Order: sequence, then C-alpha cells, then structure tokens
Amino acid sequence: MESGEKERLKELLRERLIECGWRDEMKTLCRQFARKKGRNNVTVDDLVQVITPKGRASIPDSVKAELLRRIRTFLASTSL
Amino acid sequence: MSMPNEDNMASHAQLSSHFLGDLLDSIIVDVASECHRIARLGLDRNSEEEEEELRLSAQARVRVADPSNSSEANSKYVVDIFGQSHPSVASEVFDCMNCGRFIVAGRFAPHLEKCMGKGRKARPKVTRSTTAAQNRYSRGSPVSTYSPYANSSSSNRLSNGTSGVAGEEYSNGTFQEP
Repeated sequence: MESGEKERLKELLRERLIECGWRDEMKTLCRQFARKKGRNNVTVDDLVQVITPKGRASIPDSVKAELLRRIRTFLASTSL
Repeated sequence: MSMPNEDNMASHAQLSSHFLGDLLDSIIVDVASECHRIARLGLDRNSEEEEEELRLSAQARVRVADPSNSSEANSKYVVDIFGQSHPSVASEVFDCMNCGRFIVAGRFAPHLEKCMGKGRKARPKVTRSTTAAQNRYSRGSPVSTYSPYANSSSSNRLSNGTSGVAGEEYSNGTFQEP
C-alpha cells in the first residue's frame, strides 16, 4: 500500500469532515465531556472513546460515498 | 462455482470500508488529542469563562445602576468582585511627584506630558537632578503618597520604599532639556 496515497486520502477525508462541520461537532462533544469530568482529569483516550462511536456514525453519507469510491479506485489500481 | 469477480468485489468493498475506518480512526485521534490539549490548557474554556464573567458583571452593573446609589457619575459605579462599589478613579486628586501640584487623576497623563517635558519646551525648568530622580520614580505607581519635591537640585530624596533610590544623585548644576 502506497503510503503517499493513503496520506492524500486521509487529507481529503479530513478536509471533507471539516467542511461539513463534523470536526466542530466532535470538538463540542469533547468540550462538554471535559467540562463534566473536569478539564484536568481528561485523557486523550477518554476523548477518543467519547468521539469514536459518535464520529463513525455521524459521518455524512456523501462524504463516506466519495471516500469509498476513491478508495476502491485506488485499491483496484494497485492490483490487489 | 461462484464468480471470482463477485468475491473480489465483496472483499474489495470490505477492504475499502475497513480502510475508511482506519483513516477515520486516525483523524479521530488527531481531533481528540487536539481537544485534549485545548482542555488541559484551558484555551477554549477561557472564552467561555470570560463570557460568564462578562454576564455576571453586566448583571452586577444592572443591579448597581439602580436608583440606590446614583449620586455623581451615574453609570460609573461598578461593583467589583468584592462587592464594593467605588467611584471611578478619575475623580481622585493627588500630588504630582514632579511638580507637586494637585492633579485630578483623569488629567494626570496629559499633565505629566507637559510636566516632564517629553522633549517639548513645555517645562524648561528641569534640572538634571530632577530628571534623574523622575526616571526612578516613574517606575513605581503614580498613585501613591509621594511627597512633592520642587525643582531644586536638593540632594535629599524621600524614597517611598521603591527599589533602592540612592540619596546622592547629580546635584550639580542645572541642564536644559532640548
């Protein structure tokens, strides 16, 4: 697997998620969690666990479709 | 016999969504670590807390602006964090440490401009000794009980406990500021 291509896909995904406000939603979740738990008691793992289920579920369909399409193209092109 | 293509496509699809999951996870970790940093440093929270404080102080101002104490400056009475309300500072009068006159605090800055010369010929009566002493005094806060001293080249300086003001300074001769 070409790591360059993977990076590009990751960047593309990141950009799409920022555009559609997904990232801001995640940040808000983190902020709420940090406020509840006390901001000095928060660990990165905590936040990852907070975000992951919601994050995976709330990714917009259009973004998912676009990325899946590109990934499939890419996988096909690397003759798997 | 199943068509090999279908199997390939299925596994492709599986692989793609697995791949997408990977990408998403790494992005999630990025976001989480950034939020963690923000939370620990209190970066994001500062704005929220400030907003709350602003709201509280606005409320306090509303409370104070009641007809209970609107004597002089009507909306200049602000309740501070200890619940005290005091008149705005501008009305305080004290002595200028340079010329010894009584100055209203609100006019102190423009007064100092002329008083200390600031390169203008507004105060041609400045001596070397007073200039040197001014530089020392101006480091402290202007609102304290400085005893006024005239423009003479007297060598006794009354230091108010500010950082070691030496007694003897240049007490010889006068010197005109440009």
